[in-house]
Amino acid sequence: MEHIQRQPDRVARSRSRLLDGLQRWLPKLVVAPTFVLVGVGIYAFMIWTGVLSFTSSSFLPVYEFIGFDQYAKLMANDRWLTASVNLGIFGGLFILSCLVISVLLAIFLDQKIRQEGAIRTIYLYPMALSMIVTGTVWKWVLNPSLGLEKLMHDWGWASFSFDWLVSSDMAIYTIVMAAVWQASGFVMALFLAGLRGVDSSIIRAARVDGASLPLIYGKIILPSLRPVFFSALMVLAHIAIKSFDLVMAMTAGGPGYSTDLPAVFMYTHTFTRGQMGLGSASAMLMLGAILALLVPYLYSELREKRHD
Amino acid sequence: MSQLELRSIRKTYSGVAEETLKGIDIDIASGEFIILVGPSGCGKSTLMNTIAGLETITDGSIVLDGKDISTMEPKDRDIAMVFQSYALYPTMSVRENIAFGLKIRGKPKEEIAQEVARVADLLQISHLLDKKPSRLSGGQQQRVAMGRALARRPRIYLFDEPLSNLDAKLRVEMRTEIKKLHQRLKTTIVYVTHDQIEAMTLADRIAVLKDGELQQLGTPKEVYNTPANLFVAGFMGSPAMSFVPVTVEQGEHGLQAEVRGNDGGTIKLPVPDYLADRVGREVILGIRPEHITQPQDQKDDQDLVTKGQFTIEVTEPTGPDVIALIQLNDTNVHCRIDPEHPVTWGETAELMFDMKKVVFFDPETEKRIAA
Amino acid sequence: MTDVVRTGIRPSRVAIYGVLLLAALVYLIPLFIMLVTSFKTPMDIRTGNLMALPTDWTIIGWTKAWSEACTGVDCGGIRGYFWNSFKMTVPAVLISTLLGAFNGYVLSKWKFKGSNLFFGMLLFGCFVPFQVVLLPMAATLGQLGLANTTTGLVLVHVIYGVAFTTLFFRNYYVAIPDALIKAARLDGAGFFTIFFRILLPMSTPIFMVSLIWQFTQIWNDFLFGVVFASGDSQPITVALNNLVNTSTGVKEYNVDMAAAMIAALPTLVVYIVAGKYFIRGLTAGSVKG
Repeated sequence: MEHIQRQPDRVARSRSRLLDGLQRWLPKLVVAPTFVLVGVGIYAFMIWTGVLSFTSSSFLPVYEFIGFDQYAKLMANDRWLTASVNLGIFGGLFILSCLVISVLLAIFLDQKIRQEGAIRTIYLYPMALSMIVTGTVWKWVLNPSLGLEKLMHDWGWASFSFDWLVSSDMAIYTIVMAAVWQASGFVMALFLAGLRGVDSSIIRAARVDGASLPLIYGKIILPSLRPVFFSALMVLAHIAIKSFDLVMAMTAGGPGYSTDLPAVFMYTHTFTRGQMGLGSASAMLMLGAILALLVPYLYSELREKRHD
Repeated sequence: MSQLELRSIRKTYSGVAEETLKGIDIDIASGEFIILVGPSGCGKSTLMNTIAGLETITDGSIVLDGKDISTMEPKDRDIAMVFQSYALYPTMSVRENIAFGLKIRGKPKEEIAQEVARVADLLQISHLLDKKPSRLSGGQQQRVAMGRALARRPRIYLFDEPLSNLDAKLRVEMRTEIKKLHQRLKTTIVYVTHDQIEAMTLADRIAVLKDGELQQLGTPKEVYNTPANLFVAGFMGSPAMSFVPVTVEQGEHGLQAEVRGNDGGTIKLPVPDYLADRVGREVILGIRPEHITQPQDQKDDQDLVTKGQFTIEVTEPTGPDVIALIQLNDTNVHCRIDPEHPVTWGETAELMFDMKKVVFFDPETEKRIAA
Repeated sequence: MTDVVRTGIRPSRVAIYGVLLLAALVYLIPLFIMLVTSFKTPMDIRTGNLMALPTDWTIIGWTKAWSEACTGVDCGGIRGYFWNSFKMTVPAVLISTLLGAFNGYVLSKWKFKGSNLFFGMLLFGCFVPFQVVLLPMAATLGQLGLANTTTGLVLVHVIYGVAFTTLFFRNYYVAIPDALIKAARLDGAGFFTIFFRILLPMSTPIFMVSLIWQFTQIWNDFLFGVVFASGDSQPITVALNNLVNTSTGVKEYNVDMAAAMIAALPTLVVYIVAGKYFIRGLTAGSVKG
C-alpha cells in the first residue's frame, strides 16, 4: 500500500480509510498480547535464568558474576551426576519401551479387531491422568509390604519378593514402569493413526509381489512411518526430560537421591535448598539437552517441507 | 457496465528478485469478455488478485470507470470473483452463501430475498437453496459460486479458472452456460484460464501472458492466425503449431524454402513475397496441422500451395480428423488428414502444403515477421 | 491397510486377541486397584490383597479424603483444593483457547512480515523445559503481587499454554483454503466478520481438541502449582501429593486412593465423554508433522 489515495471524495471516504487503516493493523494488534506474554514469559525469562546461572545467587537473586563457577560446581556435584545418569537410564528405557510396546499394540490393533474403539479407549485413558495420580497408584501397587508382593504371596508364590521401590539401585526402574504405563497408549494412538494413513495400494502391490505379512510390516509399512517415529520420539523425549511430577509422587527423589532427575534436582536446589545459581545452571543444561534434540529435528522437518 | 484500465501494473513480492508482473497495460471495454491466458507462473492469477484488491501493486494504476481504485480495499471496489475451488462458505446454506455479500452491505431483507430468487432462477439452482455446499455436485457448486458473484450486481466479474475442477463433459457444458450468461447480461468479465480452448471459445479478446509480461492482446482469431511470437504461436492451438527452421531462397517462380523429409527426399515450399529481404537467411516456419492435408484437387492451382511425398511416422485418429506425424528438417510436424483418406504409419503419402496462412518468425527475436 | 488383515489364520488371530486383551488388563488393573482400595477399610487393606474386592464396602475413604484428610499441616481434606483447581483451570483454559484461536487465525490467514518468525518463536516455546523459566516467573509474580494466588496460576497457565493452542488452531486453519477468505473479503467482510461468520462455525473440532488438551494439562499440572502456589491457593495435584507423602500418623491407603480418584475424575470424565474428538484431532495433527 505504498500509494497514497488520490481520491477527492468526501468525508465518508476518509472515515472508511481510517477503518481500513485499522483493519491493516488488526492482525498485529490481535497477536500482540501473546507476543508480549511469550516474549517475556519464555524468552526474557530464559535469558534471565541464563544470567542467574552465572551469578552466585543463593536464597535470593544477586548479580555478582562468577563466570562458569556454577557449571563447574554442577559437574562436580554427585547428585547432579546421579540425576544425569538417571535421566539416561530413565529416558532411554522409557522411550525404547514405549516405542516397542506402542508399535506392537498399534500393529495388532490394526488387524480389523472387534471392539477396537473400546480397547483403544482403555489403552489411552492413563494419558488423561495426572502424573501425581499415576505416581500415587503405582506407589501403592509396588508397596513392598502390602502391594504386589503380598498379592503374590496370597496367590501362593511364597518366595516372591519385590522391593524395587525402596531399593536405591532399582527404584528408578519403577518410575520407568509407571511412566511407560501412562504414555504408551498415547504413542500407540499416534502409530495407529500413522498405520491408517499408509497408502493401501502399496500394500496390495507388495502382496501381489508375494511378500509375507511380517515382511510387509518390516520393510514397507514401518519405514514409511518414519515421521511418526520422529514425532513420538520428540514427545517422549520431551516428557522424559521434563518429568518431575512422577518422581515427586513416587519417591520424591529417594531413597536418598537415587531417583533424582535433573528436573527434581533443579527444583530442590532452587526452591528448597537456596542454591539459585546452581539451580539455574542445571536448568540451562536441561535447555541445552532439549536444544540438542530439537535442532536436528526441526532441521529435518524443514528440509522435508522444502522437498514437497 | 464498467470499463477497466490496467496501466503499467507492476508487482514485486518481497524477497523475490524477479518481478512477478512487469508492467501490464490492458484496456477493457465495458461489457467485454477478456481472458488472461498463460502457463502456470505467468502472473495471470496475480494480475487478477491485484484487480480484486487481494494483493497490492508495486507500481502502476487500476482505473475503474475513470476512478483510480489501486489502493482501495477489496470490499470497496465493487468487484465479484468466482474461484477455482468455488470457495463456498461450508457452514452456510446455498441461500446464505448467495446472500452473504448483500447482508454485509446492509441491504434490506426483502431486497436480498428478491435478489437471491432472481439469481437462483437465472442459474437454475432454486431447488438447491436450502442445501449445504457439501451436498452439491461439482457442477452445482460451480453454479452457486457464480450465483454469489451475480447477486451483488458488481461492476466487474473476475473468474479465476472457474472450470478447472470439473470433469471434461461438464466443463464444456458450463463453458456454453457462461457464454450464454455473458451474452444475456452484457457484463464486463475478466477470466483467467490456462486452457487455450476455453480462451478461444469464450473470449472477446485474449491476453496472453508469460513471465509477467503481456505477449499479445487480441481477438481469438488474431491470436490464432497472427501470433505475435513463437510463444503465443506454440501456446494457442491443439495440436500445437510446428516450428521448422528453413532458409529462404530465390526460386524460379518466387521465394521458396527447402524442407527435407526423414527419408532424405526434399521439396521446395513456396513462401510469400514479404520474406524477400530475408533471402539466404534462416527463418522459422510456423505451420499448423490444418496447413498440411491430403491432396485437395480444388486447391491444386492456387498460389502458395504445393505437394510432396513424406513418410508417415505416427497416426492419431481423433474422429473428425487423423493427426499424422511427419518430419521436416528433423523436426516433428503434425498434419491434419481427412479420415476418409487412408494413411498408414510407416508408409509414404502424398501431402498438400497450403502456405497461405503459415507464419514466419525471426530466429533471433522470436517475433513474427510481419506480412 | 485393512486388506492385509484377511491373511490371518485362526491361531494367529487368537494370539493377537490374547495379546491385546492382556495389554488391556495391564492398563486397567491400576485403575481397578485404585477403585477397590478406595472402598476398603484400613483393616481390610492390611489383611486382604491388592486385587481382592472389599469384604465390606465403605465410602469412609472418600469422605475422609474429601473433608478431613491432612495435607501437610492443614487437615480439611482436599475439598478446597479441588475447587481451587476448578477456579484456576476454567479461566485458564478459556483464555488460552480464545487467544490461540485468534493467533491461529492471524498466523494462517493474515500473515504479516515477521509472522512466520513469531510462529517459530511459539513453536519453540512448546518445547522449552519449564525449569528454565520458573525462577524469573516466581520473582515476577511476586513483584506483581500475584504470588500464591489463583490469578497468578491462571496467568502462568495461559502463557505456557498459548503456544500449544496457537499451534492447534494455526494448523487447523492453514488447511482451510485461502480462497474462502478472499471470497469473504470481496463480499465485504472484514477481519472480525470473517473470523466470526466464516471460520468460527467451522472450528468446533479444533475447539474440542484445544479445550480438552488445555483442561487435562492445566488440571493435571503439578510443577507450576508446587512452585507458584502455597497453602490455600494450591491446586488439587499439589494437595494430593502432600496428602500421600505426609509422614505423620498411620498410612491410610483407602484415603490416598479415594483422593487420587477425586483428583483424576474430572479429566477422566472429560476423556470418556469427549475423548474421541480429542484423539481424532490430535493424532491428525501429530502425524502430519
